[in-house]
Amino acid sequence: MSEFNIKKPVVPLPDMDPEPQIPEDELFFTEEELEQIERYKEKYPTNRSAVMPALWMAQQKFGFLPPEVMQLVADALDLPYAHVFGAATFYTQYYKEKKGTYVLDVCCSFSCQACGSYDVLDYLEEKLGIHAGETTEDGRFTIQEVECLGSCGTAPMLQVTNGPYVHNLTEEKLDQLIEDLRNDKMPPFTSVTLPQDEDEMEGNRRSDVEHTDTYQTPPETKRWI
Amino acid sequence: MEATNGQSKAGDWQNFERVLLPPIRDLHRLDVYEKEYDGYQAIQKVLREWEPGEVIDEVKQANIRGRGGAAFNAGLKWSFMPPKDDRPRYLACNADESEPGTYKDRQIMEYNPHLMFEGILIANYAMQLDACYVYVRGEYVDWIDHMQRELDKIYEKGYVGENIFGSDFSTEIILHKGAGAYICGEETSLMDSLEGKRGYPRIKPPFPAQKGLWGNPTTINNVETLSHVTLVMRHGADWFSDIGAPTHPGSTIYGISGHVNRPGCYEYPTGMLISDLIEKVCGGMRDGKKLKAVIPGGSSVPPLRADMIDGVTMDADSLREAGSMLGTAGMLVLNEDTDMVTWLRRVNHFYQHESCGQCTPCREGTGWLEAIVTRIDEGEGNLRDLDLLIDLCDQMEGRTICAFADAAAWPVRYTIERFREDFEAKCKPAVFDTGGVAMTA
Repeated sequence: MSEFNIKKPVVPLPDMDPEPQIPEDELFFTEEELEQIERYKEKYPTNRSAVMPALWMAQQKFGFLPPEVMQLVADALDLPYAHVFGAATFYTQYYKEKKGTYVLDVCCSFSCQACGSYDVLDYLEEKLGIHAGETTEDGRFTIQEVECLGSCGTAPMLQVTNGPYVHNLTEEKLDQLIEDLRNDKMPPFTSVTLPQDEDEMEGNRRSDVEHTDTYQTPPETKRWI
Repeated sequence: MEATNGQSKAGDWQNFERVLLPPIRDLHRLDVYEKEYDGYQAIQKVLREWEPGEVIDEVKQANIRGRGGAAFNAGLKWSFMPPKDDRPRYLACNADESEPGTYKDRQIMEYNPHLMFEGILIANYAMQLDACYVYVRGEYVDWIDHMQRELDKIYEKGYVGENIFGSDFSTEIILHKGAGAYICGEETSLMDSLEGKRGYPRIKPPFPAQKGLWGNPTTINNVETLSHVTLVMRHGADWFSDIGAPTHPGSTIYGISGHVNRPGCYEYPTGMLISDLIEKVCGGMRDGKKLKAVIPGGSSVPPLRADMIDGVTMDADSLREAGSMLGTAGMLVLNEDTDMVTWLRRVNHFYQHESCGQCTPCREGTGWLEAIVTRIDEGEGNLRDLDLLIDLCDQMEGRTICAFADAAAWPVRYTIERFREDFEAKCKPAVFDTGGVAMTA
């Protein structure tokens, strides 16, 4: 009997009928959230445009976007599931699987690479005992290697769970960050002072921020990739 | 490839007074912007005294060359908008800066957001637009909140919305948060993303001015470009075109990163010498090491060898002559310790990751570029792989819907051309194993 030597697809097909990951009694939007979605819709001529803000809101609430949450968003916007699935799977910041409570996105694009981002990644991997892309067993931390975060002058840097940036990373700074996050203390928003402001205005120009940083000479790079 | 210019076009740049980010404390606050920086005066003057068409002519004459990478005259782009009919018309402000090496727009969004908002209002009036969508990359969440606070203030004061400043012109500004896709910085892909779709670039024509957002006339401008519009309408086109390089006037924000002593964002006139930027502005190379390469405008532009930057200035024409491009003026400086093969491998990884997957040459090509450069980097490559890479670049450039494939291929092509010795050092010495027997006739 010949099997015609048919090869299986290289990329595994997604499970078409996965087990729901969010309990059914938690899977709903509150009245306020539905009102917020209505406000999103008003900003655009079509409902479909509200997909991105609605997905952001859903991710904020549920932590990630399994298929049942995408279906919930589709129902709220009166859209086909495929439209929501298509958008959610295109953008990297929408988490399609469960991540740790704190996701450490280490920027490794070329400016950061040249300024030691892989050393930062090594240090974090060793400290937390996981590889980039993995989550610690207690579900607290995920490390990810990500593309340019737009803070090339303060390289190496990272972002915590699609939120605050942490600039000019050193081993001491990383130790402090991990300790703070273990105590559920998120790093604060930090304004980076322009070099010309440092010279002409003696520091950061904003009086409404508590935490400031400056651009610094980047460290030596040990590992390049 | 020697640049013929050779001299700085930035004039007396040491004493240049910054205009995009002037040294005023708390300029990001509406009250400070209005009181100490004549904020929202330009838009009021425009609404009172200028016809929409005259504003377009003035901006065209100022020759603000788009700061997003293409360096196209912004006023000329505006003039492509069709005459007003019953369709709605839109502006999309491109704040999705995700080109590696670029972080200049964020400085405007943080330190002078009202300059951008005022520029948007002027643009909306000039082209008679109904709304502007500001597409900010999703990672900039803190800055989006910051801008939303300031935007709410000007909505409250009636500077935007119905009948702005008591005139009969109404327009809206809406902030939209992206979610981490480099390709959404491409103008047509940005529009698809705003429509709630996957960010796939569209075939042009039809151009956005004919069929853009939701099928209606649309113009797309960069944050810095729109900020310059405010300055042009405040001080006049002649004032603007007297600053910096004559063919690429104005000031610009140079975002410098890499192996220099003092990286950061610096505002200076266009046409600065690259050597001045490294030596005088950024305090020279770290540890006094030698310069190896400069990437003048983000990852997509061809890298320049250290011996190619003599007399090259930071404006579109000088850099084109030198064999590169201005791009976003986000400059990466690399020292002599850099292995350009490993560097290129990481650049290729970026493009492989960010290709939207719509066109085959790009989706497959970026993967192959990364695979082959990785092979060379791991010491498993042959010299003929270099020809294979160039051949791949030939198959990618100009064969896709958007310029992403070109942007992915150029660094490969020019890094091999200009840093060939780095590649040869990592390739296996010979193609054939002759078993020690010399292959001579």
